[in-house]
Amino acid sequence: MNVLLIEINPFAPASPPISLGYIAAFLKSKGFQVKILTLGEDTSVSTAGLKDIITNFQPALVGLSAYQRTMLYIMGLARLIKSINSNIKIAIGGPQATFMPSAGFAQLHDIDYISRSSGEVTLLCIARAIEKETPFSDLSGVSYKNADGVIRDTDDIEGFTDLDCYPSPYLNDVFDYSRMGEAIMLTSRGCPHHCKYCYTPYAFKHKVTFHSIDRVIEEIKWIRKKGVRRLWFADPNISYKWTRFQNLLDRILTDGLESEIWLQTRADLVNPELMKKMRLAGVRTIAFGLESASERVLPRLDKHLSIEKVAEAIRLAQSEDIEVELFTIFGLPYETFEDAVKTLEFVKKNKVKIMGNTNSQQMQIYFGTHMARHYEDYNILPLNTKRPAYLSIGCQYETSYMSAKDIARIQDLWRAHSLDRGRRIVS
Amino acid sequence: MTKLVIQKIFVILDKQDKKQLERLCRTLSGLFSHVNLTSNLYLIADNLTEGMPQVERFQKEVSAFLRANLFARLYLHFVHHAPSGTVRGMSFYFQYYYQIWKQAAREFDQEGYMHQEIPRLMLLPVLVPDNRAEPTSLTALLTALKSAFFLPSLYLNRETFFLAGNDDLLARTEKVYWGHGKTGDKAQIVCDLCYQDILDDTSARLEPDPASMTDPCPAALIISARDGMVYACMDAFLKKKRLGNIHGALDPDTLMARYSEYANSQRDCLACRERVVGSFSALPLPEATTHEVGDLLYHFGTLHQEAENHIIAIERYEKSLKLSPVEEAGPIHFRLGLSYTTTGRYDEALESFSRAELTYKDQYYFHFYTGLCCFEKGEYRAALEKLSKAIQMKPKKEDLVRILIYMGTCYNSLEDYEQALIHLERAKEKTSNVKEIYNAIGFSCFQLKDYDKAIENLRIAVELDPHSAVDYASLGANYREKGDTNLAIAMYEKALALDPSIASARENLERLKNKP
Repeated sequence: MNVLLIEINPFAPASPPISLGYIAAFLKSKGFQVKILTLGEDTSVSTAGLKDIITNFQPALVGLSAYQRTMLYIMGLARLIKSINSNIKIAIGGPQATFMPSAGFAQLHDIDYISRSSGEVTLLCIARAIEKETPFSDLSGVSYKNADGVIRDTDDIEGFTDLDCYPSPYLNDVFDYSRMGEAIMLTSRGCPHHCKYCYTPYAFKHKVTFHSIDRVIEEIKWIRKKGVRRLWFADPNISYKWTRFQNLLDRILTDGLESEIWLQTRADLVNPELMKKMRLAGVRTIAFGLESASERVLPRLDKHLSIEKVAEAIRLAQSEDIEVELFTIFGLPYETFEDAVKTLEFVKKNKVKIMGNTNSQQMQIYFGTHMARHYEDYNILPLNTKRPAYLSIGCQYETSYMSAKDIARIQDLWRAHSLDRGRRIVS
Repeated sequence: MTKLVIQKIFVILDKQDKKQLERLCRTLSGLFSHVNLTSNLYLIADNLTEGMPQVERFQKEVSAFLRANLFARLYLHFVHHAPSGTVRGMSFYFQYYYQIWKQAAREFDQEGYMHQEIPRLMLLPVLVPDNRAEPTSLTALLTALKSAFFLPSLYLNRETFFLAGNDDLLARTEKVYWGHGKTGDKAQIVCDLCYQDILDDTSARLEPDPASMTDPCPAALIISARDGMVYACMDAFLKKKRLGNIHGALDPDTLMARYSEYANSQRDCLACRERVVGSFSALPLPEATTHEVGDLLYHFGTLHQEAENHIIAIERYEKSLKLSPVEEAGPIHFRLGLSYTTTGRYDEALESFSRAELTYKDQYYFHFYTGLCCFEKGEYRAALEKLSKAIQMKPKKEDLVRILIYMGTCYNSLEDYEQALIHLERAKEKTSNVKEIYNAIGFSCFQLKDYDKAIENLRIAVELDPHSAVDYASLGANYREKGDTNLAIAMYEKALALDPSIASARENLERLKNKP
């Protein structure tokens, strides 16, 4: 049986979709034929070309990664797929899908399933059910619409806690290396923290799971063998387990696997020794989450990180000649315009270049976050009450402290200070 | 992705009857399934009032396509002469033309708002002002357009470049297209839009993968509404190589099949890119674009240099220098110096090298090449000074040998044969198979009257190169000085058999043969 996995984002260049890669490798290991299609702003493909791909590959199941900003495109692709063959089943997964309310699912006419638990195991459930020609039996971790269009939710299903149980997308050559400039890697998943604006801790139930260092090293070796020398570690906090991360860096150094590396972590999870080692291993850029430099605002986000700690981490990285990126957000609860300006001033004062990921963005209120569930408690006033139910509040809100105009003003201010007109890499 | 994907379609509008317009609409509609998921449609009209009804008709086709394909996005550029008049006059145009145009796209604006994203249909008026354009009125129009969420652009040509000096105007402009001509002729505008695309595309390839410049530029179609002719790219449009005629019932699928055939044919896209980039070098562009053109010309210069086309390389470098920022001029001067050297223009080469000195003074090869120029000019002491500097900087082995040979030859020319031998023997220690070393040692030893050593080295020289007439002649001279007449005659005869034009060998041979 064939499974087609699609990631579409017309607003950013295509990059290896690591999550789909894991699902593809897992399904392949279970005997399914899997293809990944990545549609970015630099992908050259027409409607006729898409039709050809679907007609020629004849998938029985198509999985689509869903994000708030790509929902329209997801719906368009689903409609196209169903117009080619209405028997093809379509599932969505990813950040927008996990906590999407049933009312939203009901509006997605061409979507059959929502994957709500770990992507690998839920997609396998769905694929097996389709293969047995009982597409809505024995499902777990999903919501589905039965033949009558009635929405049913199934029980959760747990993914593996040992990530090595998932076959590697790299070692199984799921991706096309010929055009890969940079490999996106995940050595761990999840985050134990409780930041109120963030989706990740809730999606992973505040747990962190890991790959073994041996597995990561094996992947790096393979990736390098394929000619890729740039690594992008997408772990939310790669240095969450200090000694494990040190071991990883040591192995990179002893095995001569130094590469150009981008990674992100919390500012309170670095020290001088680690930073030195990172530099030696090839870390060129380190990204920290600051969110707000206002002492009134930051403590109320439950990030449990001090502004001084962030400044200290920046200095540490800069002293090792490692480029720093700072994730910041404006339009936060309790944040006034003056508070938001403080964040911009902090970034300037600490000599972090305002470009790429350091371009600040408005807080996005996504499904599943604490903020989405309790927005009224934070004096957040949604601006568009008529939005489709498959979309969360996103950025369409103002607060009691900042009007929509103020939010637009601070956005303009950031853009005016930006070296690249405010274009972010990570969203 | 195997299917050919069109990135841009340019339609040159004209007065058409209803039937022709409908045929053109059907063609475009058919072509939409072959355009990229994010694509551009340029509609080039004479003026706003005549062009707008046709634009609105085409927009209906665009909207139907986007409605049916929620994953598709399209940028609709309406290129037309800027309306002229007072600020109040502009308000009229804005209200009665642009706003109505915008209303026709409202469903996509609403859709974008609902989905918190950029609308899938973007309207981009491209205004073509004439030389009587009044900046204040134009600014007022651009301000109104921007406030209504249009993304207005300007097309400026030789007659209207003066408007680029108006900061207020530019601040309200999404993009400026730079025209090469003087008139607002539609065919010229299409070429200029394509030129700009090619420039942007070529520039975007320079950093990540310059080798990809041989690839075709983004796939585009040019359609002339007047006669229905379709062209596969700007080059084909200029050469009038048509894919077919849509008024002659050419359907979109056949058109795409012909386009594929054309796309797969042999074309010199690199030469086309170079021609286009070169055409911008004479335009009074803003600083950033000028620098971009300068960078590209430098790159093309390096390609010509690597292909040993030094005359063209020099031309590209000289143009690049005029356009590039001073702080980036070092490598251009250096490369230019190399091409001057290869073409024997040593004075100019030295001048270029001196301008590159700040950037390259720590590189041994810089001092080697400057030394080489001095050597070729016969300035041996200056050459020795530069070559000595190069040696001190630990050059690569193969270059070290070359430097030592040049130094040895300089000393020979300065009649300091002992010093010459010191350097040449050092070269010999590094490598044993370079004929020039033995030849030069032979010369030094001959001058020092050490004929046996000279013969020993010249023998190796002719072993390495059995066709070296000069080395045989030198052997002849050494044997002659040693008094070994028979061997001297044999060597001179061998030299003359290989190269009868060596006069000294002939004279010596005759003299030896006539010797009593």
